[in-house]
Amino acid sequence: MKGKDSLALEYLYDHYSGALYGAIFRIVKKEEIADEVLQDVFLKIWDKIASYDATKGKLFTWILNVARNQAIDKTRSREISKEKKTTAIDNVVSRIDRSGFSEQGIEDIGVKDILKNLPEEQRFVVEHLYFKGYTQSELAEEHNIPLGTVKTRLRLAMQQLRTTLGVT
Amino acid sequence: MNIHEYISSGILEAYMLGELSEQERAEVEKNLAQYPELREELALLEETQERLLMEASIAPKASVKAALFAKIEAAPKAEAKVVPLTPTQPAASVWKFAAAASITLALISSYLAYDYWSKWKRTENNLAELIAQNQQVAQDYNRVNQRLDKLEDDLKITDDPSFKRVILNGTPNAPQAMASVYWKESSKEVYLSLQSLKQLSKENQYQLWAIIDGKPVDAGVFDGDFAGLLKMKDIGSGAAAFAVTVEPRGGKASPTLETMQVVGNVVKG
Repeated sequence: MKGKDSLALEYLYDHYSGALYGAIFRIVKKEEIADEVLQDVFLKIWDKIASYDATKGKLFTWILNVARNQAIDKTRSREISKEKKTTAIDNVVSRIDRSGFSEQGIEDIGVKDILKNLPEEQRFVVEHLYFKGYTQSELAEEHNIPLGTVKTRLRLAMQQLRTTLGVT
Repeated sequence: MNIHEYISSGILEAYMLGELSEQERAEVEKNLAQYPELREELALLEETQERLLMEASIAPKASVKAALFAKIEAAPKAEAKVVPLTPTQPAASVWKFAAAASITLALISSYLAYDYWSKWKRTENNLAELIAQNQQVAQDYNRVNQRLDKLEDDLKITDDPSFKRVILNGTPNAPQAMASVYWKESSKEVYLSLQSLKQLSKENQYQLWAIIDGKPVDAGVFDGDFAGLLKMKDIGSGAAAFAVTVEPRGGKASPTLETMQVVGNVVKG
């Protein structure tokens, strides 16, 4: 992969694009934006693969962080551009868009099944971190939860998921 | 360091999510390198995270992949550009080999062509030579055969008792000269054989005369360079002697006695 082989990139795409797109789509909530972000993510992987250090973690962890950062950056730049807009119609349309997606959002059957065994407060943290584009700090700030509590909830959730997902 | 407390603090999750500062990150990596338990715990977290995201997969449209790889193809990296150059190397060497082979082939075939040409030429010369030799042998054979036939014919005459042999000896004009006449009176045939006569000029010829009843009778002209017997003109019966004179080419009606070369009387009986 580090030899800039496009076949290796294609392998990565075939293997991970679904997982990454699932995260990206839930964060940006618009198909054409998600498509764009996914392409940007793989172009970035293609460009920066040499900086990936296998001794510091799994390849997927590195790729997922690239994808999450890219998706969050995109969402924030859109938020800013939206704030600048003055027409009422745009605001209405965008609100409808957002609510539509949030209804759908995490209700996906596969993810719901996995997360259903988690206590409500833990599921809340996992959803926000992985599917809503929040960092632990942002979640703590926005929802007035101490950062230590967020960390603990995530930690407990990950231990529960380990069992649910059969990781040994 | 209390490993359990360190793990419980949730710092590995934060590390995994990329939420640490550079300083915190460096410290975690130092601890990971030092403690296998930490590496094991991180590996489990990463595996859990990956499975969770895999479960939450949404397949992007195929057009996204096509557009992505079209972009990558359109803007290949400098390293990637080196790759297409390698396949040309074997192709070039194939052409090189083909060219070398065709030149070798051309050299071989032109050598063979020359070799065959010279062999053919040599064979042709040999054949011409053999044909010429064959013709020569055939000619020689014919000549010998003809000569043999002639000799056999001559022999019949000289062996035939009915032919009288008349020896003509040299006159004072040509004391070394000598010739013979075979004459068959019944059939009037006359043959001449030369033992020794000098070469004449082209203007002159020898002329044979038969003396019948005291008068010279023309028996024909001849050149002095034949072998064997030469048939002469028929003459009437009662020849008493034969003589040869030198006359202008074509002969004369009457002999020039001063030029008589040989003369011989017919022996009676």
